[in-house]
Amino acid sequence: MDIELSKDDLLFEAEVNAFLTENAYKKGEDANQWRMDWFAKAREKGGWDVPKWPVNFGGPGWTPNQHYVWQRATARATTPWDLPFGLSMLAPVLMAYGSEEQQERFLPDIRARKVNWCQGYSEPGAGSDLASLKTRAELSDDGSHYVVNGQKIWTTMAHIADWIFCLTRTSSDGIKQEGITFLLFPMKQDGVEVKPIITLGGTHTVNSVYFTDVKVPVENRVGEEGKGWTYAKGLLEHERSGIAGISNSIVALEGLKEKARGVKRGNGSLMDTPSFKAKIAALEVDLMAVEYTELRSLATASAGAAPGPESSILKLKGTEIQQRIQKLTMEAGGQFSAAWGGRNSGPGFARGGTGGYMNSRYYTIYGGASEVQKDIITKKVLGIKSSK
Amino acid sequence: MNFELTDEQRLVAGSIARFIQDNYDLESRIQLSSVKPGFSEDHWATMAELGWLGLPFSEADGGFGGSQIDTMVLMEQFGKGLVLEPFLASVVLGGGALKRAGNDDQKKAWLSGLIDGSKKLSLAYMEPESGDEPQNVAVTGTPSDDGYKVTGTKCMVLHGAAADAFVVSFRTSGGTADESGITLALIPADRDGLKVSGFPTVDGLQSSELSFDQVDVNKEDILGEVGEGFVPLNATINDGILAISAEAVGAMEVLYKDTAAYTQEREQFGHPLSDFQVLQHRMVDMFVEYEQCKSLLLRAVMEVAADGNDAQRCVHALKHLVGKAATFVGENAVQTHGGMGVTEELRIGHYFKRLMVIEAQFGNTDYHLDRFAA
Repeated sequence: MDIELSKDDLLFEAEVNAFLTENAYKKGEDANQWRMDWFAKAREKGGWDVPKWPVNFGGPGWTPNQHYVWQRATARATTPWDLPFGLSMLAPVLMAYGSEEQQERFLPDIRARKVNWCQGYSEPGAGSDLASLKTRAELSDDGSHYVVNGQKIWTTMAHIADWIFCLTRTSSDGIKQEGITFLLFPMKQDGVEVKPIITLGGTHTVNSVYFTDVKVPVENRVGEEGKGWTYAKGLLEHERSGIAGISNSIVALEGLKEKARGVKRGNGSLMDTPSFKAKIAALEVDLMAVEYTELRSLATASAGAAPGPESSILKLKGTEIQQRIQKLTMEAGGQFSAAWGGRNSGPGFARGGTGGYMNSRYYTIYGGASEVQKDIITKKVLGIKSSK
Repeated sequence: MNFELTDEQRLVAGSIARFIQDNYDLESRIQLSSVKPGFSEDHWATMAELGWLGLPFSEADGGFGGSQIDTMVLMEQFGKGLVLEPFLASVVLGGGALKRAGNDDQKKAWLSGLIDGSKKLSLAYMEPESGDEPQNVAVTGTPSDDGYKVTGTKCMVLHGAAADAFVVSFRTSGGTADESGITLALIPADRDGLKVSGFPTVDGLQSSELSFDQVDVNKEDILGEVGEGFVPLNATINDGILAISAEAVGAMEVLYKDTAAYTQEREQFGHPLSDFQVLQHRMVDMFVEYEQCKSLLLRAVMEVAADGNDAQRCVHALKHLVGKAATFVGENAVQTHGGMGVTEELRIGHYFKRLMVIEAQFGNTDYHLDRFAA
């Protein structure tokens, strides 16, 4: 064991930082063009546009330390917006279970950020109990296509998505995990309707999606009919470790301290207030620990492989930490955090602070609620068998 | 010691509960809140007719001679309905400062209108850099021929855009954090040099910012003695804390009850959610926190109403406990409802938002624990 990064890792870090500085957004630049150029240049570096993809699919084949260096550096830099659905969730499923034809058809556009995907998982009656989903896919008599009917809910970014990867029910025989089929189809077609759901922070990121007689060619089925649950589970583990957002929290905590230093209290600042300081410190301690929990998990998982049930620990702690940062940001804004638009002399960061906190409550619910993560740890890690 | 409400108080509570049942379904509230002035003038008139706006004023001032206990009864019901009308701003804060610091002429000029609903007041004490300390006053009054010229900014003035006049704290002597040297005045909203900018808050209510540029404050506008404004201001803020704590208790009751009801309806894994012991115990904890707040609310309200020695400490203790419990109950109500909990569609999120605004109002949970321990 050695806490220091190796000489090679330090050289890599310098190279990453140079790349990020050189390709940082410059004022006046066309934002979309910059985004496309950024990913193209990252690709030229040898797969830096797809850090987690395995080498045989164009990934960089980094060591766990290199992933750590990359995460730490990119959390601090301004990088182009990116969605995890195609890149980090669907892509590993296609690599593991998709046909060669499907890999060739879908992976290049995901990699080029040309096609935005969304995830058709939760339904009104299937939240934590995802496997009880009911959206029907019926195979046509000639076996050429499925006809999909049903409703998905909490579908993040469905309103901008071009395609959806969707869990559907093709059979109700046997246990509910069987009979689930993994389908891919375009969002912009008749029979697909997207309705926004406005969350407590007043924002629109999630949606209800309705399917009425949507035709999906059989070649858009991933793997075998009825085996979708197996493919979906691995994907959830990728989602969980992504949601933890630990590097971002480290940067956000530094930002929060800076904000609190700017809030006047008596002759000093809010950071001199013992109760606030103690909460910041306790948060930092948890973050220091979870950062190493993530590194330990990175070190054991080979690149590209699903992270395993330990990802539940990261999801649990990572999202709690994100919520605590939002809560303390709201607290730092004091009464000003309640403002919802309009003129307000409080600290600039306070505007909408309560709204940000409200939206953060979602973190321990989406991607498998904390209660679900605890169930997974109970069963898969602690090996506790329930008689229920 | 007696925890029983009087017959009259029970009647008032019942009539408010009916008013809320008839008028305050979620959709109506959202509708009212989204259109100026952000509440219903009709409801306000009804509240005046039913005598609610006069509850905490003495009979000599044209009120019904009630106390903080009566305000508590009313605010707890308002909390259950998430009422939007400016009772806190106008009656508890604006009217509260006026009844404490004003002379007979001033009270005569404003209180009857306030009680009959034709006039509204608000209290302007917070400033950009005052933190949670009402004695941190940087808005300054410089002496003029007939009084003062007042300059500076007041923040988070509740329902300011709807107010006809403001009770304003400003400094006439001393340093920025001194309790002495703070003067209160009643300043009409249309006075030259005063600019009121209203904005909504995340809980669906209304707030505002006031900027004063050489605003003339005459001798007859001054409430009480020059430089002696802190004591009535602080007492008014204490009343505000009791009022929003009662409101929070009402809101928490809705949250724990809604959560218990929802978990018995919602099925996952072939069981109602309420079958899961981890959720049962969580809901018990929510209920216990609510009960604790209710107990301390009664203790603080009775102590303040009796002008007891422990009044200030009780107020700090209450605001601390309410803030802590409101966070716990609100967060767990949302978490237990899952995705539905964070949407605008269910009412629980709206109660949670109001609770988190209350948590910060008049000093947050940490601030009051610190004051309590001091």
